[in-house]
Amino acid sequence: MEQTANYLGLIPLLPLTGALVIGLLHMLTCTKKPLPEKLYSVLACIGPLLSFFMALVVLFQLKNMAPEDRFLSHIPFTWFAVGELHVDMGFLADPLSSLMLVFVTFIGSLIHIYSIGYMAGEENYGKYFAYLNLFLGAMLILVLGNGPVVMFVGWEGVGLCSYLLISFYTKDTDNVLAGNKAFIVNRIGDLGFVLGMSFLFWAIGSTGFDFLSLRENAHLLTPGIGFAICLLLFVGACGKSAQIPLYVWLPDAMAGPTPVSALIHAATMVTAGVYMVARFSFIYSHFPSAGTIIAWVGILTALLAAIFGMFQKDIKKILAYSTVSQLGYMFAGVGVAAYSAGIFHVFTHAFFKALLFLGAGSVIYALHHQQNIWKMGGLKAKMPITYATMLIGALALSGCPPFSGFFSKDEILFMALANGHPGIWFIGVLVAGMTAYYTFRMMFLVFHGEARDKQAYDQAHEPPAVMTVPLIILAAGAALVGVFNLPGIFGGSMSVSNWLAPSLVEHHPHVSIWLEIMAIAASIAAVVIGITIAYKKFGHGAEEPEFTGFAKLGYHKFYVDEIYNAAIIQPYKAIGSLISRFFEPNVTDLHVKFSTWLYTKSGKAFKVFQVGYVRIYAIYMVIGLSVMSFFLSQSIN
Amino acid sequence: MFEYALSVIIFLPILTGLALLLFPLRGGVARAVGFIVSVIILFIGIELFLGFNGKSGMEYTEFHQWIPSLGVNYALGIDGISLLVMVAATFLFPMVFSIFKTRTKGFYGNLLLAQGAMLGAICSTDLILFYVFWEIMLLPIFFMIGIYGGDKRLSATLKLTIYTIAGSLLMLAAIIYVGTSYHEQFGKWSFNIADLQALSLSGGFAITAFLMFMVAFAIKIPLFPFHTWLPDGYTEAPTATTFILSAIMAKIGVYGVIRFVIPVFEVEFTRFAILFSLLGIAGMLYCGLAAIAQKDIKRLLAFSSASHMGIIALGVFCMNVQALSGCLFQIMAHATSTGVLFLFVGLMEERLGTRNIDDLGGIAYRAPIFATFFAIAMLASVGLPGTSGFIGEFLIILGAIKFNAFIGFLAGTTLIIGVCYMLWMFQRVFFEKGKERTESFADLNGMEILTFVPVILLIIGMGIFPQTFLEKIEPTAQQHVAQLTAVSASQIADTTVQNPGHTNHKN
Amino acid sequence: MIQDYLILSVILFCLGILGVISRRNVFTVFMSIELMLNAANLAFITFSRVHESMDGHVMAMMIMAVAAAEAALALAVVILLHKHKGKLDTNVFSLLKG
Repeated sequence: MEQTANYLGLIPLLPLTGALVIGLLHMLTCTKKPLPEKLYSVLACIGPLLSFFMALVVLFQLKNMAPEDRFLSHIPFTWFAVGELHVDMGFLADPLSSLMLVFVTFIGSLIHIYSIGYMAGEENYGKYFAYLNLFLGAMLILVLGNGPVVMFVGWEGVGLCSYLLISFYTKDTDNVLAGNKAFIVNRIGDLGFVLGMSFLFWAIGSTGFDFLSLRENAHLLTPGIGFAICLLLFVGACGKSAQIPLYVWLPDAMAGPTPVSALIHAATMVTAGVYMVARFSFIYSHFPSAGTIIAWVGILTALLAAIFGMFQKDIKKILAYSTVSQLGYMFAGVGVAAYSAGIFHVFTHAFFKALLFLGAGSVIYALHHQQNIWKMGGLKAKMPITYATMLIGALALSGCPPFSGFFSKDEILFMALANGHPGIWFIGVLVAGMTAYYTFRMMFLVFHGEARDKQAYDQAHEPPAVMTVPLIILAAGAALVGVFNLPGIFGGSMSVSNWLAPSLVEHHPHVSIWLEIMAIAASIAAVVIGITIAYKKFGHGAEEPEFTGFAKLGYHKFYVDEIYNAAIIQPYKAIGSLISRFFEPNVTDLHVKFSTWLYTKSGKAFKVFQVGYVRIYAIYMVIGLSVMSFFLSQSIN
Repeated sequence: MFEYALSVIIFLPILTGLALLLFPLRGGVARAVGFIVSVIILFIGIELFLGFNGKSGMEYTEFHQWIPSLGVNYALGIDGISLLVMVAATFLFPMVFSIFKTRTKGFYGNLLLAQGAMLGAICSTDLILFYVFWEIMLLPIFFMIGIYGGDKRLSATLKLTIYTIAGSLLMLAAIIYVGTSYHEQFGKWSFNIADLQALSLSGGFAITAFLMFMVAFAIKIPLFPFHTWLPDGYTEAPTATTFILSAIMAKIGVYGVIRFVIPVFEVEFTRFAILFSLLGIAGMLYCGLAAIAQKDIKRLLAFSSASHMGIIALGVFCMNVQALSGCLFQIMAHATSTGVLFLFVGLMEERLGTRNIDDLGGIAYRAPIFATFFAIAMLASVGLPGTSGFIGEFLIILGAIKFNAFIGFLAGTTLIIGVCYMLWMFQRVFFEKGKERTESFADLNGMEILTFVPVILLIIGMGIFPQTFLEKIEPTAQQHVAQLTAVSASQIADTTVQNPGHTNHKN
Repeated sequence: MIQDYLILSVILFCLGILGVISRRNVFTVFMSIELMLNAANLAFITFSRVHESMDGHVMAMMIMAVAAAEAALALAVVILLHKHKGKLDTNVFSLLKG
């Protein structure tokens, strides 16, 4: 059924090699004279670009096969095998992974190119590209892994790179703390992944622990174990894709360089959780109750993050919360068993969110690292390309027809309604309106009205072509990729859903066309209302308001970070010092303390016999000998 | 050609070590001699590893009578269980000689003695011979900490030595019990582990003897709550010694349980497995939590090492092939990650004269190579996939889940706990703003890079190609587990058959 | 007959012990020890006669030689002790007091 394609392993290997070479060069030279930036730039872009071309080859090779046979695999070697457990270091390209593969390498390459401009002149230029290449390699392993364990390699690898890149400006403690937070929170999710994977193995993995074998045996899962596996794996997804309650790391992750936020914390890594749930659709589709939990967690995350997003003043924080919110949509999608809709939203979101982040990066670059939107304004005239591209991104994010975000978001909401979750649909529409509001609040404050900081405004200028060209390409994508999955009502044929069908296990419900039209109308109305309110409030310039009441609560993110700090981190540290200050010396060591005490005490007790005079010792001797002789004579007689 | 290879790797270092102690030499010469000897042993070790065919039996066996009247023999051999411990003990010593340059000849002599004794304990297949090496192993450690250690070395040495000897004496008593039981049941004396497997022990005495064995090994591992010698011992010992203690000696404790306790006390082991696995978990959590509050890097690593040993020990008690193989693999992985971290801390201390986390910072800017190597070892120690640490930890967690889902879950928390203190430490030592003291920190020099590169490659190699190692240990682990489950199952069946019989009799 | 010798030997030995225990002068203690040795010698000779074997004689000769050697050593020790503390009272030498 599946064909072998012996170049699949090369796709992640290329960026990984790039990372190794750049990393070594940087490591060996950075304390002396740094190498020229051109060298690093060229080395860094080779790997991603080659991977992108190979991804296209994979896509076309799959396209030329019969739809139900679209599986390419490459197993270079057995990774480890113990007892029933047999794990191959294997790669699998099917419609699902090939789609991910193409857009990850495409956006990855664009962001590499953009970074050449953005990072120019920075210290540790080489290190940055080494990490970025490493990230891409890990992400490709995640996407291509043919089983949960190989997937987990990429899963943890991207977590590591995320840590390294968030704390890239290591001299500032806050950045490193943000990196630590990301890594640790991700690890909490990883615990769920590892446990879910282990349960899965003992349940159905002994005949083969790769996706295709698991898929064949998925019907053997008993309800209890299957449900537990679904939820445990979802915990992993929560960590990686920033869902309640593990979303807290993502806003802090904006401490990294902006292209990193675009690539890792918007377009690729954070969508890994959605990808994983879709990968395991053969299990999730058996347990709709677990799916419902996922959908509700997702939509509530979307709502919460949208509330936070409405009150932020840091341009990257706004985008970060919008990412969390959009990820919530994706989980709502995969939760209601609309896997292809969820994945399609991953796909479109990658374009418009990467675009928005890169646009924000251009703004930040132009304003010399100013990120507060209340210090911007009127940049439309100074940065026309950035403005135009970001406007497309904002429209796509808000879900304005005919931009890509509209089709994917609407598909999710419609599927929620069609699969019998009107509550999720309603919140989804509400969030769509809020999204439109905060996105355009940001757009108006940054680009319209009067300049609030005159000096910065005067120095602002459009960034170099190496940064604007990726923006334009992404803008074209954000505007157009929606057509790949046009639903029937717009005269399309759902090509992406059909393409993904062999990889996923999902059912398309049949619903009346009026319901569909009603749903579309509702979300368009929400978007229009959102944009209108934003225009009314911020369209003609506005002053920074003093947050009170609910707005203050929203601005401070409901004090979730503070609550986590007080409820988890501080107790954790307190237990640590309690153990090392009190338990370790006083309680755990008690048995040692007791025996030394016993020895000392009994020594003291016997001390009285040690008078120090030899003749007294002689008396003891005589007494001892007498007693001995007495007993001896007794026994002889 | 390798007929006497095991004897050579045991006695070459012991004899050279004694010679170094006897003859008046300068420290530099002694170091050179030690380095050459350890490299020779390294090559023999590599040859032994490559030549090992892993068909679940003993290989490279040697057999000579020693005390025939008591059936005590000089019997050596390597199988899948001891292979990786042996590899760790042969691979890691040259590093110590190449890095620590300023010690006296006594120190290098003791190092060699320690290596010989450890290899002896690892290769013995006779209980008495094992006991002899087990005790000899302690002597050089005693001198190294007592003479060359830190400020509070005396109390640390005494605590360690008395603690360990107390355990050893319990073990000696248990060994005598096992030997006499064998004599009673088979009419001849033998302490050979292959013979002792046939022994069937039951009753209160057997449980007592089992617990005595376990206490001895638990102290060495160290298993919670017998770990209290460790923080002081590891911190006060010279770094080379800490490295040996953590990388090899602790592992011999785990190895001892697998080699000598499981085959003899199958029933008792099965009965107490859950208790001891909980102790492993408790140690992992307890030491992991304690690590976060440490101010001294070495002490932090000491707790981290104890925490990981809890997980490794857990692998033994889960009684399935995944966990056992994972445990054996992790023995080597832990030696190359946490063990090597101790060496890095030693280097740092030699350069800066401090181990206090608050005095450090910004080392990554001065010494990128050092920071990178440290980071790789650290990531292996927290079990990142692609490094050696992941395979072992994953197999152990996987096995633990089969053994008991709740214990498996608790074992999994090691993923989180380890990363918390390690990242926090890494941040404050390597990142943030540089301190005055770290301004002049010199990066690794050529010789040091040359020393560490093989280990770094090994860490990554073991993560990507673990099958090279696993395929050699898996058959033995498989056989061990099969034996354990078969015997304990039949014992349980026996008791259930016997019990109705008893009641009938009474009626 | 033999009992008389043995009783004499026991009496001598007990006297020796008493001397060691009760006297404080180092010389007296030393002489008491010699007395005990001679008590042992007497018992050896007696048993030698009873068993008609020369072993007892051999032992007696041996003990005499040992006693002589011991005397030489002990006197040297006594002189050193005297040099050290200026007294020969055993109560002065109580370093072993716990």
